[in-house]
Amino acid sequence: MLTIALPTGRVFSEAAELLAAAGLPASSLASPGRKLVFEEENFRYILAKPSDVPLYVSYGTADLAFAGGDVLQESALPLVELLDTGRGRCSVVVAGPAPLAERFRGHVSERMWLKVATKYPRIADNHFSSKGAQVDIIHLHGSIELAPKLGLSDCILDIVQTGSTLKANHLEVLEHVSDVSLRLVASKKSVALRWNEIRAVSRAIRRCGEVLP
Amino acid sequence: MNRLPRGCANVGGGLAAAMEECKRVFLSLFERWGYHPFLPSGLQLLESSWERLPPLFRQKLIAVNSPYGEPCCLRGDITLATVAYLASHHSPEERPLRVCYSDRVYARAEKPRLSMESFQIGAELLGWERQGADAEMLFLLLRMLDAIGLEKSVLLLGDATFLAKAVSEVESSVAERIVAALRKGSLIEYSELLEEENIPDFYRKILQCIPDLHGGPEVLDEAARLWGKGAPLLSLRNIVSTLTALGYGDRIAVDLSLVRELGYYSGPIFDVYSENYGQSLGGGGRYDRLLSLCGLQGQAMGFGLDLQHVASLSRFRKRPPSVMAWFANLSPSDALQRAERLTTEGTPLEMSWCGDRASSLRSAAHRGCSSWVDLSEGSTLDLSAETDGLVLPGKEDSQC
Repeated sequence: MLTIALPTGRVFSEAAELLAAAGLPASSLASPGRKLVFEEENFRYILAKPSDVPLYVSYGTADLAFAGGDVLQESALPLVELLDTGRGRCSVVVAGPAPLAERFRGHVSERMWLKVATKYPRIADNHFSSKGAQVDIIHLHGSIELAPKLGLSDCILDIVQTGSTLKANHLEVLEHVSDVSLRLVASKKSVALRWNEIRAVSRAIRRCGEVLP
Repeated sequence: MNRLPRGCANVGGGLAAAMEECKRVFLSLFERWGYHPFLPSGLQLLESSWERLPPLFRQKLIAVNSPYGEPCCLRGDITLATVAYLASHHSPEERPLRVCYSDRVYARAEKPRLSMESFQIGAELLGWERQGADAEMLFLLLRMLDAIGLEKSVLLLGDATFLAKAVSEVESSVAERIVAALRKGSLIEYSELLEEENIPDFYRKILQCIPDLHGGPEVLDEAARLWGKGAPLLSLRNIVSTLTALGYGDRIAVDLSLVRELGYYSGPIFDVYSENYGQSLGGGGRYDRLLSLCGLQGQAMGFGLDLQHVASLSRFRKRPPSVMAWFANLSPSDALQRAERLTTEGTPLEMSWCGDRASSLRSAAHRGCSSWVDLSEGSTLDLSAETDGLVLPGKEDSQC
């Protein structure tokens, strides 16, 4: 039995579609309802909150998982990234009100002690510290775009797909941090002990990823 | 409530008992094979550790000042102390030298763990020039894993030389990035690097195949075919054939993408995995370079396992229920003499000094004891079989 963890939310349907297209028995994922665990033939699927998915894999509860690059970077857990599916593409960016753009174009000293609201404190810390900028990171769990508007922060670090939410909140991209996409990851233990099964699934997903639009 | 410093933990109960059992099994097995126990100092001088440890080890060291004002680090690694000790305390004629240990090590916490201290068991075999040492150590390691009930654990075997040679013709900064991508498990970044960077075709082809060089002994043939003459696989081949001949063929897997610190390890390397835990339980390999840094010639082979993880998966985690021996109002000396007879027969027991039989029985049931003995009569009650039907006295009967 191979256990695959899938993130609920934005990218769940893309992950389920990839599994089905790869020929894995995953019909139950088409309409999951409120169930969180499904078994079909030799596969078990676990539906988990996106930020929890890397933990399931790292601890070996799941052999494989789909996870966004942002979640993987933030978790920094030891696991094996097998494949970039190319799905769920978006970017991690620093965004803020237009007047702040000048400070981001200038010397690093202009960015010192900015207040940065984010769901990704680790990514934010790595990003700003790699540039030598000391900032004040405010860890929020949602509605990040509100923070500058309400004076809680100067700017935000968040994922952006179309940019419409930023626009609606009068924010603009100040700095690109990294590209994000849906990745297939595996537990180190499963790579060590069940490589042939892991490789077969990975190859099937890679193949269908190349074919699907 | 006694609060502990962040990153520290007290270990007690069944886990501590399991750790002690595993440690006993490990030390007694290795001592039977000529490995001498070693107890390193808890503090190491930074000046002695810094140059000899590879960068990834150094980053994890926890620096402190000794009360005498010397810059030190908490012991982050036992191998270095072992090698330094053996280099200065034994003459070349005494080699090979064999050492085993069980002690705490301290390192900066890394996800998913929050703890900065861990318990390590390990062994080192130093100063042997010919074949046999690698296989000896891995054979004993597998024997130990069997003895503690990890019969399904697997040794994942690689060779640091293979990857080092595969990147030897690649520009050094690119080579470092390639190795780093493999080390952090990002096969995506790894393949992107191979596509983007200027790498000689012969080596690019080998590097592209490395993540797939994973499986049984046939992988070694595949790697040899790819490499042609001079494939750096002889030591690994010897290990695989020896362990297979010893009946451990199904407990080993080859993975030529396995990475440990390249500047430190210099030959076969390995990790230990068990089905019930997501990360490696530990590992080791050949580290001849450290030996030469300490002024010793020859090969060095060693491993370290995380005792806490190993014990939590071991057969000792399900602690055998003990026997409760009720003193039955005998004098303490009589009761202890009778109880001692039971322990010399090999029965682990716990004394009960409760004033009445009912309280003692109730206490035994609450503690999960498998049986209860009345020391005056010598009668035994099997609690594991009878607990369901046993009418335990209520609290009001208790005089404990």
